[in-house]
Amino acid sequence: MGKLTLYGIDGSPPVRSVLLTLRALNLDFDYKIVNLMEKEHLKPEFLKINPLHTVPALDDNGFYLSDSHAINSYLVSKYGRNDSLYPKDLKKRAIVDQRLHYDSSVVTSTGRAITFPLFWENKSEIPQARIDALEGVYKSLNLFLENGNYLAGDNLTIADFHVIASFTGFLVFLPVDATKYPDLAAWIKRIKELPYYEEANGSRAAQIIEFIKSKNFTIV
Amino acid sequence: MGKLILYGIDGSPPVRSVLLTLNALGLEFEYKIVNLMTGEHLKPEYLKINPLHTVPTLGDDGFYINDSHAINAYLVSKYGKDDTLYPKDLQKRAIVDQRLHYDSSVLATTGRALTAPLREGKTEIPKARFDALEEVYKTLDLFLASNDFLAGNYLTIADFHVIAVLSSTILLRDVDATKYPKLAGWIQRIRRLPYYEEANGSRMSQVANFIKSKKYTIV
Repeated sequence: MGKLTLYGIDGSPPVRSVLLTLRALNLDFDYKIVNLMEKEHLKPEFLKINPLHTVPALDDNGFYLSDSHAINSYLVSKYGRNDSLYPKDLKKRAIVDQRLHYDSSVVTSTGRAITFPLFWENKSEIPQARIDALEGVYKSLNLFLENGNYLAGDNLTIADFHVIASFTGFLVFLPVDATKYPDLAAWIKRIKELPYYEEANGSRAAQIIEFIKSKNFTIV
Repeated sequence: MGKLILYGIDGSPPVRSVLLTLNALGLEFEYKIVNLMTGEHLKPEYLKINPLHTVPTLGDDGFYINDSHAINAYLVSKYGKDDTLYPKDLQKRAIVDQRLHYDSSVLATTGRALTAPLREGKTEIPKARFDALEEVYKTLDLFLASNDFLAGNYLTIADFHVIAVLSSTILLRDVDATKYPKLAGWIQRIRRLPYYEEANGSRMSQVANFIKSKKYTIV
């Protein structure tokens, strides 16, 4: 097997979703930090690997790939000992794919609407409407979890990695009300019990959580 | 084969991407209109098959899935005579998946943000939304730098998703062929597909009339 290199930074939830997948698959890899604050993603060397200058980016022995969902699907398909993290069964896969695209189109944009002004535009007031949108996401996720212990059914899949990586930040803005969203609250606990969770996500999110708290945001 | 049912409405680009896939695969299906304007997507019967109340939803003999990308991948995998529209080769598939998620996370939202003010009855569209669209055109042109289709040298479902969105956005801001020659060439190429008119082209008239009827300024 050639060398796997992951380009990214701990603060990015999509990067952490790939770290969760790499750990779950027990893969060896190089982790190269791309400092977004210092605009390292815009440098020619990184643009060669990913002209979209986003993180994460994967280099698998000269094959470059961007987008965390594409990366995670690829890693499981290529290196997984079995297909449980991204099932080959067409119906099971369709459910995982729908969760992955729900992450791309709703979860990340809902999160970004809250964090972008705070991180990049120095605005410390968050409109209540954006928090309400986040609660809408909690409601949908709880709905998904009514059908099984994990987001796509009875088994852990990469869908769970994407969503939990975003959640570590979300919880600072809006805790999960376990009386309203009991399945979601239980799922968070369940994922945190994974043996590699702390290393891949928990410990790496700490800095970004501190950063968020340091902004002294208010919800208006 | 059980009955395939597509729930949706012509005005929705994701629905049109599924119509393109169904036509490309030569599949028979029932098309059930879900009128978003009158809140049909919020009715109990629809919530039962898609609690997220979005379109499209696909029913395959009692199995329901939503999200157009998941639907298209499923249709090709299950019914395709071959895998060219959604290749099984891991590297080729990964590129298609990246284009599909680019659609979900950037393209579709950019398109919706551009038309949102008009749909909300406003007469001003922020310039930033047009700038975001230009960025998208630039990126798509980049994807097409060395190949005729978005994910390589063959047509894939990625092309269906993107043409469905672009057929709406070009009504507000055309693709400048001098700036984005590859993208302009690709649009012509896709329009020549034998099923393009039936699946997408002919279904644009309501959207086109709506946009043409709106007076707006860019602010």
